[in-house]
Amino acid sequence: MTSQTILLVEDNPDDEALTLRAFKKSNISSEVVVARDGAEALAYLFPGDGDGDDAPRPALILLDLNLPKVGGLEVLRRMQADARTRLIPVVVLTSSKLEEDILDSYRSGANAYVRKPVKFSEFAEAVRALGVFWLLLNEPVPSRAPESD
Amino acid sequence: MTQRTSLADGTFAALLEAAPDAMVCIAADGLVVMVNAQAERLFGYERAELIGQPVEILVPEAARAVHPGHRAGYVADPRHRPMGAGLSLAGRRRDASTFTAEISLSAIDTDAGILVAAAIRDVTAQLRVKDLERSAQSLESFIYTVSHDLRAPLRALSGYSELLLEEYGGVLGEEGRGYAERIVAVSMQMGQLIDCLLQLSRISRAQLNLQPVDLGGEAAQIAGEIQRREPLRHVCFTIQKQVRALADRRLILTVLENLLDNAWKFTSGRDDASIEFGAAPGGDAAVCCYVRDNGVGFDPAYADKLFQPFQRLHAARDFPGTGTGLASVRQIVERHGGHVWAESAVGAGATFYFTLDEKEGA
Repeated sequence: MTSQTILLVEDNPDDEALTLRAFKKSNISSEVVVARDGAEALAYLFPGDGDGDDAPRPALILLDLNLPKVGGLEVLRRMQADARTRLIPVVVLTSSKLEEDILDSYRSGANAYVRKPVKFSEFAEAVRALGVFWLLLNEPVPSRAPESD
Repeated sequence: MTQRTSLADGTFAALLEAAPDAMVCIAADGLVVMVNAQAERLFGYERAELIGQPVEILVPEAARAVHPGHRAGYVADPRHRPMGAGLSLAGRRRDASTFTAEISLSAIDTDAGILVAAAIRDVTAQLRVKDLERSAQSLESFIYTVSHDLRAPLRALSGYSELLLEEYGGVLGEEGRGYAERIVAVSMQMGQLIDCLLQLSRISRAQLNLQPVDLGGEAAQIAGEIQRREPLRHVCFTIQKQVRALADRRLILTVLENLLDNAWKFTSGRDDASIEFGAAPGGDAAVCCYVRDNGVGFDPAYADKLFQPFQRLHAARDFPGTGTGLASVRQIVERHGGHVWAESAVGAGATFYFTLDEKEGA
């Protein structure tokens, strides 16, 4: 598992295809793991129920809010509640621009909130900018971060 | 029930009469002993018609058979039963019509024996308001969900069309590329319409936060911003100072922005464009403002269509817009208890008026 894995949590296959296409277009070579609902995302982040340290630590999570089974906000809360996932950067990437959704996302621990533009060129630019910022510009959390509350 | 109430001194009757709810007192045998004026009004009976009658004449037919049993049960264990204790009850008027009621019961120990006093409240209107609130809420959440869900397929439509153009543009040929470009453009347009729909639904849900607003000052600021966007256009703004009102600042700014933007847009063909903001005599309303321009105007025959969502009186290629600006204006003004109207003739400019209910310090 490289430190440069991106976890894309997206239930809409077209949005998934367009996001992957946008990554490809902007030369982001990170491996992208796709979870198609909140439950899949949690299963990926918390494999088994053990406390092992071998769980994957993606460098960035792109999280949709409206997801089947377990919603995006719940995924955020579960990640916040666990020291192993608390520090992973999460960008909420959604259609909603409802103030409640934005506020709830930040309150639940999101690091950024980006509304998906309808126009693909704008969407691709947003995905590119996110990749550049979170994977290149931003200093990631040190891998042996002290785990304190 | 330690103290006995005396019926003879009239105090009890006076208290009963003053009660805000309809009151009906019955004796242990179920016969009506006393009623108040509110009860006469609620049930449509004269007092004399009720006294001495079994209380069941006030109970809908369907429940009459079981009512004496309930009554006996209550007298056997006379605990105070408050209003709306989860019971769906009904009353029957003299004309046989029924209404949904909240009824609370208390037992009173009097020198004439135990009386059961029932306070009865017609809650039909409250229930209707609750129903309306519930359906308005579900409509809002429906609009929200629909607008939200419509964006995803739109993104796919426009995204795949853009990819077609990018990767297969050569194969498509000029005409094919034109079609794909139309799909992209129309998707954008629909995206804007959906955003406007979302905005309209947000306005109707927004909590009003009323505060004193200097409408003249805000209008001057907005005019300055509009002018900065297109510095080459020369427009004469005349803005009245000291127009103050109590309003939700954020929402009322949307009103001013929309009206001034429109005035700017529809005067674009004129070298001597002028736009005016001011206060007018408002009749009963506390504040009446207007925005006047000398632009293209509109046909007054269509004046009522102006404020409906997605209605446009001008071709999109002449004056772009989604046709929701004035719908937002109307919604905001009406939420402030005011109303909005417009006067114009083709080619003779337009004046938009809006009133607000509250004046600062009034």
